Parts: sequence; structure tokens; C-alpha cells
Amino acid sequence: MTVAAHRPARLAPWGLALGGFVLIGVAFLVGWQLALVLAVWLALWAVNVGVARTTAGTWAAPVLFGLTLLILWELTVRLFNVPGVILPAPTQIAVALAENTNTLRADFVQTVLKGALGGWLIGSTAGIATALLVARSDFLRRGLLPVGNFVAALPIVGTAPILVMWFGFGWESKAAVVVVMVFFPVLVNTVAGLADTTSMQRDLMRTYGASAGQDLRYLRAPSALPFVFNGLKIATTLALIGAIVAEFFGSPTFGLGFRISTEVGRLNLPVVWAAIVVAAVTGSLWYGAIAMLEKRLTFWHPSQRGRR
Amino acid sequence: MKHLIASAGLAVAGLTAPAFADAHANAVTLQLQWVTQAQFAGYYVAKDKGFYEEEGLDVTIQPGGPDIAPPQVLAGGGADAMLNWMPSALSAREKGLPVVNIAQPFKTSGLMLTCWKDTGITGPQDFKGKTIGVWFFGNEYPFLSWMSQEGIPTDGGDDGVTVLKQGFNVDPLLQRQADCISTMTYNEYGQVLDAGVSEDELITFKYEDMGVATLEDGIWVLEDNLEDPAFVDKMTRFVRASMKGWKYAEENPQEAAEIVLENDETGAQTEAHQVRMMGEIAKLTAGSNGALDEADYKRTVDTLLAGGSDPVISKAPEGAWTSVITDQALN
Amino acid sequence: MTDTQISAPGAGIGRSGRIALAMRGMHHRLGPVLAVVAALIALWYLAAIPMNAQNSLMLAEREGIVLTPATASERRNMSGFALTLAEPSQAVARAFAQDRPRLPSPHQVLAELWDSTVNQNVTSKRSLVRHAGITLAPTLLGFVIGSLAGIALAVGIVHSRLMDLSVMPWAIASQTIPILAIAPMIIVVLNSIGVQGVLPKAIISAYLSFFPVTVGMVKGLRAPSPSDLDLMRTWNASATRTLLSLRLPASLPYLFASLKIAVAAALVGAIVGEFPTGAVSGLGARLLAGSYYGQTVQIWSALFGAAIVAAALVAAIGLAQRVTLKRMGLS
Repeated sequence: MTVAAHRPARLAPWGLALGGFVLIGVAFLVGWQLALVLAVWLALWAVNVGVARTTAGTWAAPVLFGLTLLILWELTVRLFNVPGVILPAPTQIAVALAENTNTLRADFVQTVLKGALGGWLIGSTAGIATALLVARSDFLRRGLLPVGNFVAALPIVGTAPILVMWFGFGWESKAAVVVVMVFFPVLVNTVAGLADTTSMQRDLMRTYGASAGQDLRYLRAPSALPFVFNGLKIATTLALIGAIVAEFFGSPTFGLGFRISTEVGRLNLPVVWAAIVVAAVTGSLWYGAIAMLEKRLTFWHPSQRGRR
Repeated sequence: MKHLIASAGLAVAGLTAPAFADAHANAVTLQLQWVTQAQFAGYYVAKDKGFYEEEGLDVTIQPGGPDIAPPQVLAGGGADAMLNWMPSALSAREKGLPVVNIAQPFKTSGLMLTCWKDTGITGPQDFKGKTIGVWFFGNEYPFLSWMSQEGIPTDGGDDGVTVLKQGFNVDPLLQRQADCISTMTYNEYGQVLDAGVSEDELITFKYEDMGVATLEDGIWVLEDNLEDPAFVDKMTRFVRASMKGWKYAEENPQEAAEIVLENDETGAQTEAHQVRMMGEIAKLTAGSNGALDEADYKRTVDTLLAGGSDPVISKAPEGAWTSVITDQALN
Repeated sequence: MTDTQISAPGAGIGRSGRIALAMRGMHHRLGPVLAVVAALIALWYLAAIPMNAQNSLMLAEREGIVLTPATASERRNMSGFALTLAEPSQAVARAFAQDRPRLPSPHQVLAELWDSTVNQNVTSKRSLVRHAGITLAPTLLGFVIGSLAGIALAVGIVHSRLMDLSVMPWAIASQTIPILAIAPMIIVVLNSIGVQGVLPKAIISAYLSFFPVTVGMVKGLRAPSPSDLDLMRTWNASATRTLLSLRLPASLPYLFASLKIAVAAALVGAIVGEFPTGAVSGLGARLLAGSYYGQTVQIWSALFGAAIVAAALVAAIGLAQRVTLKRMGLS
């Protein structure tokens, strides 16, 4: 039973609509193009608010949000005659994607599968292994983490040229850059996770006479899993960025980073954005895959059990 | 939201751009194609010695860098004029950006390919099966054209060359990751020698000697701007003062190098390096008074068109250069 | 793991009081760090020998010494370890003081750092301190913009179902777009609107630093337990009041954790933002300039300079965190 008089006030929908119309009117004074763009944006936003309230909204709302962005982008570029060498329209980018599928696929294999994925696997494994070692020794933990902080603070645009000089121009140097970027977040998160047990839980394991291995397997590893996945998710975005940025500093003549940097020089902006789209979609799918795996393995954690 | 702000900003820019152009009838912004170094000494000398001031101009020189494409800056209205290699500018013109050459201070090309002699390379046909470092970002066109004319594919294997996207230093050669690298007479070649390599350990191919050289470091502007008489007048004065700066730099290389050093914000340049660079640049600008020689232009266009299956430009450009400005500036 | 408590045995002996306790805690923390650092430096010196072996032997050959694999072409395919085993004395003798080492030795990096910070006037263009200061301005501005944007987004996500569903996936996608690719376009677009100077670089910094703050704050704003939220409802608190009195204070630990990540990301963003603006000054410019002119030691010193700045910024936030949380009783 709600006390109607004390329900928090909500801006009535007509109030918002009035505000929107005023805004569009003001924009009309600047130019009809601006007013049109604003009108389209506000209209789509209103639709999306409605969509979000439905059950299909969980997937429909982000899709509609993305579509809104694309429509606004296309409108802006066309209405304001933005030069194609600065910002191409989404339709041009789609055309470039379709025309360059084979090139982009070869680039994808080089950058994502060999460089980013390879480095991510090596770096994460090394991070987790080191965390297991570090967690056993308090001395190592206190010594290694601050040093690791420092190494993680080295900017990638400085480490990439050095690693390219050491490991050559092939995918190995890109994987090395990714390892350096991914190792520390995974390490920090796993160490935090392994320590995230309450003293009662640790005492319980002691009363059961658990060996160190059993303690790890039944208590510390499961409690570390949410943190490990947190680290792995961060690592996926870092891995992709690392592989692409490393290619800016020396690469063979294929790879997403190579494609982006050289096509900018050739003013082929649609191809540049097509490569960026490939990178963004890959990164999002990869992140989503890890998130789904996390949901299956750590279903018991509060963050997976519904939100407020 | 980002797009809203950007579109609003672009709308404002579109409405006020003419106002900007009028208000700055004596302001010139030049976009260099690389960082501050003696390669651009003429412009720095003209600024520091007051040649621009004598013509009543207020010149801003914007250094370039690895991520700056001068045609893009020009398209965005960030500069009045840019320096660019002719292949890159002609390619931009074909892509729909109407840039026009108004002056050509550099007569000859300084581009070379430097190889280790112990790789057994004696001529271009020996490039097959080797690894060659090439700069991109507009500097790859002369090389691709050359390989196309020689009939050597650039996608690797025993019959082609493996191309590496070279960064802007000479490490790939020194670390033996490439058999040959692209060098400029005035910069990277000297760095290779500085690293302790002696000249007889190397074999060098100059693009000029191979007949595949293209024109470099020309001054380019947007075609639409040339319809504005105030702009043409501004550019005429600019070219006149710039060429005065170039000739002064050719005759006083030591002083020119010092002026460049003073204008270098990074503090990374050394005097010895810049003096040597100025000496080499003077060899490239000698013989040009700033006007584009039509024969040189034709030779560059022919080299680019002869690219076989993958030409840099697909047809001869029209209206890509004009002598209107140099005729008035140099009479 | 626990700090020495005032009630700990032996606390009454010798100094007690806040400073003494801090110093006792420092031994606790400093000892392991120094041990690890010492071990790493020893490893570094050892690693320098095989890494620089190729170059060491080439220097030896140029001095006329006869080596076991006598010519460079024979040595080319041997690994650093193999070369060290073949000619150990030459490899060790020349590993630590080369001009262009593959791995500079720690004392070389330290000397260069000292030379460019302490031995230079702070206003000189060669001073690393000056360049660090130039990078610091867009870092801090971008960090502030990014953090405010992140907090605003998080508040929106927690309170609006639409934003909750739609913004998060796109925020994640925005971080997968390589910033080094977009930075030039952002700079060109902003320059064409007339926005120049610190602001474009700050916007790139903000782009990289808003995401950690968003993620952390969303977690933090949702951190209060259901019983606390119910308590606010029984007091008839509006959403705003709940935000100000419950959610924001509860989110502070998460906020500070993400601010530390965000400030490091902002520094990387500022360095990346320097490349498309001419790489004229700042730490990024020093990194690139060292790369162009083959001055490896300069690259390493700029790199360490950047890491030291980042560590200092993170430490500053850590200090703010300790002070704030202590006063709030949340430590």
C-alpha cells in the first residue's frame, strides 16, 4: 500500500515534451539542420524510454541506442557537408566493410588471433601463476605489488617501440606488448581474490585438516574466481588495444593497426573506420563471451544475482 | 551527445568560416609534414630573419609528426598551406580533396634505399626474396611505383619483396630485421653512419639515379581558396618571402641550423645533426627558384602512372598545379 | 599484514606516536620492495649481456679484434645467448656502455634521467621536468573532466532504466576503439572548430579515464545493502536524498580505487594526444624524438619519467583516499 501523497514527484511526460520542443525551436534559430538533428534524437530517445520498460528492452534498448547514434551520425555528416576525409558517413563505412572483407579478415587473423589472443593467454596464465606464488608469501606480495604498479604505469606508446625492437616486426612483438599490459591487472585481481576469504572460512578449513592444495582448491580458488574474471575482462580490452597500438610502431603489411595507420595516411577514412568497427565488435564480443562464462561459473556471487 | 556537440560546433564553424578568412588577411598557417628540423629551414629562417614581417605577414609554422596527415589538416581548415610530397598530394586530389601546388622549392629528391652489402644485393632485381622497410603515411608511393615498374610483387615470398612498415628510425637495418630500409639523404642515412656503420658496409640506391624519383616538399593549398584574390595575394607574398628564406639558408647553412635548433621545442635535436642535414637539404633545393618546372611535374606523374597493376593514381591529374602565384612572386 | 598496534607488545618501548608508528610500518613495507627492486636490477644487468651481444661483437670487430664467428653476416642468425657463449669476454666488456644499446643498463638510464632533470634548468627545452609539466596539464584537466563525466554517467545508469540498459554496452564498446586511431581525427575536428591547445589533449585523456570511473561508481552506488536502502525509504527520502546521503558516501572506496586507474589512463591519454598535435613538447614528444634520432637511452629515460609521474599521481590519490576515508570512518 503506497502513500500516494508522498510518492516522489516525477516530471510529467508532457513537461519533458514541452522542454524538447523549446529546445528544437531555439536550435531552429541557429539552423534548420541542427533543429532536425535534435528533433530526430529526442524522438528516438522518447521511443527508447518506452522500449526500455518492456521485457524485450534488455536487448532492444542498447540496439536502439546504437541505431540512434548511427542515424544521427549519418544525418550530421550529410546535412552539414562534413568532408569525407575528416569523418565519413556510416553508409560509406558499411560499403568499405563489404568491399574489403578479405583484407580485413587477414588483418583480423594477424592482430586478434595471433597477437591479442596469444598475448592474452600467455599474460593471463602468467598473472594467475604468479598470483598463486605471491599469495603464499607475504614478503613477495608486499614487494612485488608496488613494483608491478610501476611497471603497469609505463605507457604503452613507450614500451611498444622497445618491444618491437626486441621481438621483431611480426606478431610476436605484438603478443609481447599484450603480455606486458595484461599481466599486472590479472595479477592484482587474482591476489585480491585469493585473499578474499573470511577468517571463519579459513578456520573451518583448518578444522577439516585441509592441506594447502585442498585449501586452494575448495576455498581460495572459488572465492578468487569473481576477481579473476574481473581481471580477465579488463585484460580483453587491454589486449586488443595493445595489439593494435603495437602495430603502429612497426609491422608487416597487414594487421588492423597497420590498416588503420596507413589508410589514414592515404585519406581512405571509410576503410579506417571499417577496421575500427571490426576491432570494436571483436572487443565487445570477446568481453561478452567472458561475461557469459563468468555468469556460468560464478552464479553464486551477489553481483550475478540480480540488481537494484 | 558527442555528435550533437560536434554537429553544433561544425555548424558554427560553417557559419563563421568566411568571417575568419576575412579577418586574417595577413595571417598564414603553414602545416609542415614532419617535426621541426633543417628540412624546413627556409621557412624558419624567413620567420626569424623577418622576411615574412617585411611582406606584412604573420606566419604560424605548425610542425607535423607521425600521426598528422597534412592533407587532413588542410581539409579541416587547420592550415592555409601544407607541405607535401607530390605523390601523396596527387593521391589526395584523386580522393576528392582538391589540393593545388603553388610552389616547389625542392628540385631533386632525397629518397634512397640503403642496404647491407653482405646481403648480396647489387641491383633492384636482387630485391626479390629480401625484406625491405618502407615508410607509409604518404611516403610509400615512390617505392610501390618503382617495384611495379621492375615487375616485383610486394607481398613477400621468394619472388617478391617482403615489405615492413618501417618506423621513423634506422633500427630495422641496424638490428638486421630488414635487409634494406628507406632513408633520406639528409637524415636517416647520416644516422646509420653515426651508428658506426661504415659506408663500404652499405650499398645505396638513390631514387633519382634509378629514374623513379618524385617531387618532394611542395607547397600546396586548397583549390577553392585560390578563387579569393586576398588569399592569392597573401600566398604570393608568402612564397616570395619563403624562397628568400630558402636561398639565405642555402648560403648560410650554419646560421640556418642554429635558427632551426632555437625553434625546436623538444630539445632533442643536436647542432651537428642539423648542420649536416642543412648541408644535404641545400643540395636538394639548389636549382629551384620556387617555381614548379613542368618537365619535373610530368616526370613525377609518369612515374606514378607507370605503376602497372597498382598505380598510385589512375589518370593524369588536371589543374593540380598553378604558376599564378610563383609568376607574381618571382618576377 | 597488520600494522603495529599501540597495544602491541613492545609498543611502549622506544618511540610511539604517529610518526614512529608510520616509520615502523615503513620498514614493514619498504624492506620487501627494496629486496625485489634489488633482485630485478641484478637480473637487468645480467640480461643486458646477451641482449647487447650482437652490438658488442660488432663494436669489437670494428676495433680490429678477431672473433670466432668472424663476420657480421655469419653472426647474424645466432641468438644473443649463443654469441655470449662464443665470445664471453667481449660480450661482457662492452655490454654496459653502448651508445645504441638494445637494453640500456640501469646506470645509463639513471644517468640520463639525472642529466635531463637535475642538471637542466627547469625552463630549458631539454629538461624532462619541463616536458613532464607540459604533459601534466592536459592529464589533470582530462582526469577531472573524465571523472566528472564518469560520475554523472554512473548516477544516470543507477537511476534510469534506459541508461542502465543502453549506455553500458556502448561505453564498453567505446573503450575497444583504439584511441591512437581516433586521436588524430578528434584533434582535426576540434581544431576545425577552433578548439586548440590543452583542451583537445584533455578530451582524449578524458575519453580514456571516464570508463574506469563509470564502472567503479556504478558498483559503488549499488553497494549499499538492501536494508540501508529500505531504511531510507522508511524516512521518505527522495531519490536525490538517498543519492546524497547514502549512495555517494558508500561509493567512496570504489571511487578512489577507480580514480587511481583513471589517473594513470589520463596520463597515457595525454601522451597519446601529443602525437597528432605535432609531438612538439611533452613526454610523448620526448619518447618519439628519442625514437627518431635513435637515442635509445633517451626513450628509456622518458619512459621512466612517465612512469614516475604516474606513480606520483596515483600516490597522491592514495593519500587523498587515506585521509578522506579515515575521516569518514571507512578505512
